Amino acid sequence: MKVTRRDLLLWGTGAAAGLVLTPVPWKLLGDVSIWSQNWPWIPQPTHAPVEVKRSSCTLCPKGCPMRVRLAAGWPVGVAGVPSHPLSRGALCPLGFGAHQLNWHPQRLRTVLHGEKSSSWNEARIAFAKALREGPIAIVDGYPGRAASLVFDSFAQKQGGSYHVVPSPEIRALAPYQALGGVPAVDLGYDLENARTVLSFGAPLLDGWGIPGRFNHLWAERAAGAADPQLRLIQVEDSLSRTAARAWQWAPIRAGAEAALATAMARVLLEEGRVSARVPIPALTLAEAEQQTGLSTDAIRGLARTIVARPPVVAIATDDNPSIAALNVALGAVGTRGGIVRRGKKAKSYPGIDTIGSVRAVLIDSTVPWDFTPSANAEVFRFAAWNGASSRAGGADWLLPAPGFLEELTDVPTPPTSAVETYAVAPSLVKATPEVQSAAQLLCGTDTDLATVEKTIHARCEDLFQARAGTLYGDATMPVAQVVSVEKLEEQLRSGAAWIGEDVSSERLRCELKNWPTAVDSPSSRQETTWGGPALPPLASKLYQESNLREASEWRKA
Amino acid sequence: MASSVLTDSRWIARGALRTAAPRFLLWLAPWAAVLAVGIYAAGLCLYHGLNQTHMDNRFAFGLWIFLDLGIIALGAGAFFTGFLVYILKRVELKPVLNTAVVVGLICYSGAMAILMIDVGQPLRAWFTFWYPNAQSMLTEVTFCISCYLVVLIFEYVPLLLRNRQLRRVPSFLVFEHQLHKLVPVLAAVGALLSFFHQGSLGGLYGVLRGRPFAFREGFLIWPSTFFLFILSAIASGPSFLMLVTAAVEKVTGRRLVSPQLYSRLGFISGVLLAVYVAAKCLDTLLWLNVTSRSVGFAPWQFYSHRPFGTPVLFVEIVILGLLPAFLLTYRRFAMRRGLLLGAAAMACAGVLLNRFVLTIQTLALPTLGFDRFLLYSPSWQEVASFAGVIGYGVIIYSLSYRYLPLFGQAKGNTYVPGN
Amino acid sequence: MSARYGMVIDLDRCTGCGACMVACAAENNVPPLPQATPRTGLTPLLVRKVSNGMEGGAQREVFIPIMCMHCEHETPCVSVCPQQAVEVDKATGIVMQMPQRCLGCRYCMTACPYHARYFNWWDPQWPAGMEKSLNPGVAVRMRGVVEKCNLCHARLHAAEEKAAASGRREIDPADYIPACVEACPTAAIRFGNLADGKDPASHEAHSPDAFRLLARLGTEPKIYYKSKEAWVKALAEPGSGPAWEDQHG
Repeated sequence: MKVTRRDLLLWGTGAAAGLVLTPVPWKLLGDVSIWSQNWPWIPQPTHAPVEVKRSSCTLCPKGCPMRVRLAAGWPVGVAGVPSHPLSRGALCPLGFGAHQLNWHPQRLRTVLHGEKSSSWNEARIAFAKALREGPIAIVDGYPGRAASLVFDSFAQKQGGSYHVVPSPEIRALAPYQALGGVPAVDLGYDLENARTVLSFGAPLLDGWGIPGRFNHLWAERAAGAADPQLRLIQVEDSLSRTAARAWQWAPIRAGAEAALATAMARVLLEEGRVSARVPIPALTLAEAEQQTGLSTDAIRGLARTIVARPPVVAIATDDNPSIAALNVALGAVGTRGGIVRRGKKAKSYPGIDTIGSVRAVLIDSTVPWDFTPSANAEVFRFAAWNGASSRAGGADWLLPAPGFLEELTDVPTPPTSAVETYAVAPSLVKATPEVQSAAQLLCGTDTDLATVEKTIHARCEDLFQARAGTLYGDATMPVAQVVSVEKLEEQLRSGAAWIGEDVSSERLRCELKNWPTAVDSPSSRQETTWGGPALPPLASKLYQESNLREASEWRKA
Repeated sequence: MASSVLTDSRWIARGALRTAAPRFLLWLAPWAAVLAVGIYAAGLCLYHGLNQTHMDNRFAFGLWIFLDLGIIALGAGAFFTGFLVYILKRVELKPVLNTAVVVGLICYSGAMAILMIDVGQPLRAWFTFWYPNAQSMLTEVTFCISCYLVVLIFEYVPLLLRNRQLRRVPSFLVFEHQLHKLVPVLAAVGALLSFFHQGSLGGLYGVLRGRPFAFREGFLIWPSTFFLFILSAIASGPSFLMLVTAAVEKVTGRRLVSPQLYSRLGFISGVLLAVYVAAKCLDTLLWLNVTSRSVGFAPWQFYSHRPFGTPVLFVEIVILGLLPAFLLTYRRFAMRRGLLLGAAAMACAGVLLNRFVLTIQTLALPTLGFDRFLLYSPSWQEVASFAGVIGYGVIIYSLSYRYLPLFGQAKGNTYVPGN
Repeated sequence: MSARYGMVIDLDRCTGCGACMVACAAENNVPPLPQATPRTGLTPLLVRKVSNGMEGGAQREVFIPIMCMHCEHETPCVSVCPQQAVEVDKATGIVMQMPQRCLGCRYCMTACPYHARYFNWWDPQWPAGMEKSLNPGVAVRMRGVVEKCNLCHARLHAAEEKAAASGRREIDPADYIPACVEACPTAAIRFGNLADGKDPASHEAHSPDAFRLLARLGTEPKIYYKSKEAWVKALAEPGSGPAWEDQHG
């Protein structure tokens, strides 16, 4: 049979028409689209049932309680705990992206000696050698933890020294140590009972104290109200977030906070609007006007305003003695609605400026990245994330520490709290073998030291014995009703929080003999309490992919 | 002409005068280079994604959409000339009909190529056909442009088959002959399809309720921009044909059409342009004073950002609209080729400006009360891709001119008076 | 009974912290884009900082969270999508985007006056290992498609499954809380069923201080804003005055 061109055409057309009627071309089209929806290089989430566990955020000393969603053992989302009376379910913006930090490209997973890779063995040998050769200073960025006790004990036994890097909120309370003899770590602010809050640049609505606490108080009592129950007055040189939402914003020249505080105190004392027995400061209103840029009338008006609705408390960003003196004049120290004493007698530790001549410095992973010891000592720095700069935070040894929720730790009372609190942050993520915390290293070096676990257990026992306070766990229960220390510890280890009783009425007497000189200090913008060199990756939404924030607000490296 | 090793005279129609092959290749070379760069730029966009462009979340449409709309409007000469010749029997326009088809084919295939790069997922292009949204103007555009491209291919194929060598294949000859009979039908279908998609392209902007700068009321479901786009397309199509024909005459160095053709095309273009300008003025007044005000936009808000001030509107309607309309229709200028071509260029520029304003100015203008006015400039990949289309167009046209009887009949194609 | 989920955002409470933005990105598996700019970033919820344009002590600022408004009437993006990749869910009022069907033509982005839609200009990428932290309930999109807020539809789905497992037809409202609502430290975002008269969100939406952005366009958005400040309310309509969004770079 001869196949003609016509035959070919006929058969070809017929086949094409027939093919269209079969599922073949449609299936192929469908497959193409499915392929374009499932490119193999697009990451997929783990498909596993989700369980929710509780812990606390360990990025900063605020230790906000967290609910963590886990799938196949990995954290896939975080949220706050609404039933917690202090945090009220809030986390800071960084907290919401914290669960991804452990895979940050800057995550440190090898021991670095200078620029070169080394090993834990080498590091231990070097550390032991340093111990033999001279005193060691240990620097802690998150004092009060069980790990902190390890540092303190180790330093004492070895004849070294233990130093803390206080958070800005604690630093601001330092002047009251001289005035009232109470260490700053024992003090807090009774914001729940304050009706006027005068903030000298403190970011009360943007990361000061426990994020949820003042945000919630302010939202419930002040936001949007023309005559709010809680008056927030923000003294600041520029319109910060807190200033933008404050009931009143007093724009002054940067660095003139002391002058303003002193001038206001003078007005109040001269006009007899406060009953505290303190000397009248020498600074004149004219001088204050010159320094602050506010007119004398404005200063007078402001002074009268702050006492119009007591109790009033002034909050500083640093240890400015003039603002502390103003608080004394306002009668805000040791009273309801002001600066209160929590009651527990905490130890006061030296700061980093007292590090003398030492053989070596051991820096815990909680210390802000920009801290570099000036001493001519060998530096052993623990860090979960490495900074971008090559000279690794000034460290000779960079040691990979546990990252987010990778180790059991505890959460002492956060700065600014008016009541004692305690929580345990269980480890929810399995740490890889190459990470080790500073406390683990020290406990390995001196096996007589009480480990973190042991200390936590001891603290649970103390709490149980005291029979005070309330446990906020799956159920809210007074400690007095908890049947055993094992039950208490079990609750705490699964993320419950202990909140102590309100003892703000405990006396705190302050004496002001002489008014401090109002020194024009450089603009002290409160640093963020996130000291790490790496931000949670999703923070890029805030400073890179939008104009909402500047990267410099957080980034230290 | 000296014969050389490199010769393609077998492919050239007998008696037709064409430049030597090496010289032709020399002519093609720079355009081929431009096309090559364009393909590379397009490849980058397909491989890396649209982050290669400078489009962003606020400028979701950019250079490509603006130029696509522009060349589709200019390529309207294809359907409109076909409509005039076959439906309205204006046979004096026949000499440019083939050019119109080739230009149309180039414009539409080029636009389709750019659109395939412009979408984020080219492999899903068929979804519009499978899950069409009857409400969306873009669905209509997609369908009509695709169908019209097929029509243009069917209109081009007979031309292609008239090539000297291809004619020798009997089945091609038969096929061409059959197709030839279809041409009036194709012209009618093409006119209908083109009418709708030119309109829908205007509808794309006119239905944007969220963009008061672009939004227009209209007739039934069609906003006024639907009709304005059709008018401007059929007004600029003949102008563009004039420009292309003049360019071809210049490059080849021969007279290919009668001088009256220019004035004829110009007159048609001018009249339509005048109608368009009148409609546009009415539309602009209604839009500024009624439509936009009803959603809270005062007219000055659209024109208070540099460089898109009221001068742009004035240039679009008067300088590049009313003025060329007058120049093209005024009897005294009918034989002044230079003036006519200048006016034609202005008409085309006016249409391009209109597409630009509706694409770029729409997106630059704030919509929310706290938006800022934004600027956009294309990346080199965007410019190169489109330049590649121009290179492609010149190459296709050059090849068509060389090997196919674009002007006149099979034998020779130098213009002979009286033909 | 079908619901109309919406929000009332109290602008007097929003401090512009951005916790909602981060929580939204984490919940919806939005990749961190270190190579992006504010105009190419992927922020289904975006808090915009708006100033009243004055200087010195008269300067005021407000923070406005913008997400998909879930327009009810002649929804601009629904009518323009050439392949029906967007639709208004009749049962919930949520404007659902199907990234699997999206062609990436970006016509919907041109249509949206609120700039609430975002294009995936890059392939989503996470640093090595970080995929383990992805939320299992939400599919990861690929480059070349448009996405936007869908009121955490995966959480609604989970709430429905939970209700079904205990034999109930209606979900427990406490089980369906979008990520941004949960994250806000001042409870500035109130979420609820606007069709339910007993829902607090519905009540707030009728408050005299409540307003919607570009209400005159007639798209009937279901995201309401609330403020007692006159200058903030005036931002709802265009051309109200010299208010500007702060921009840098």
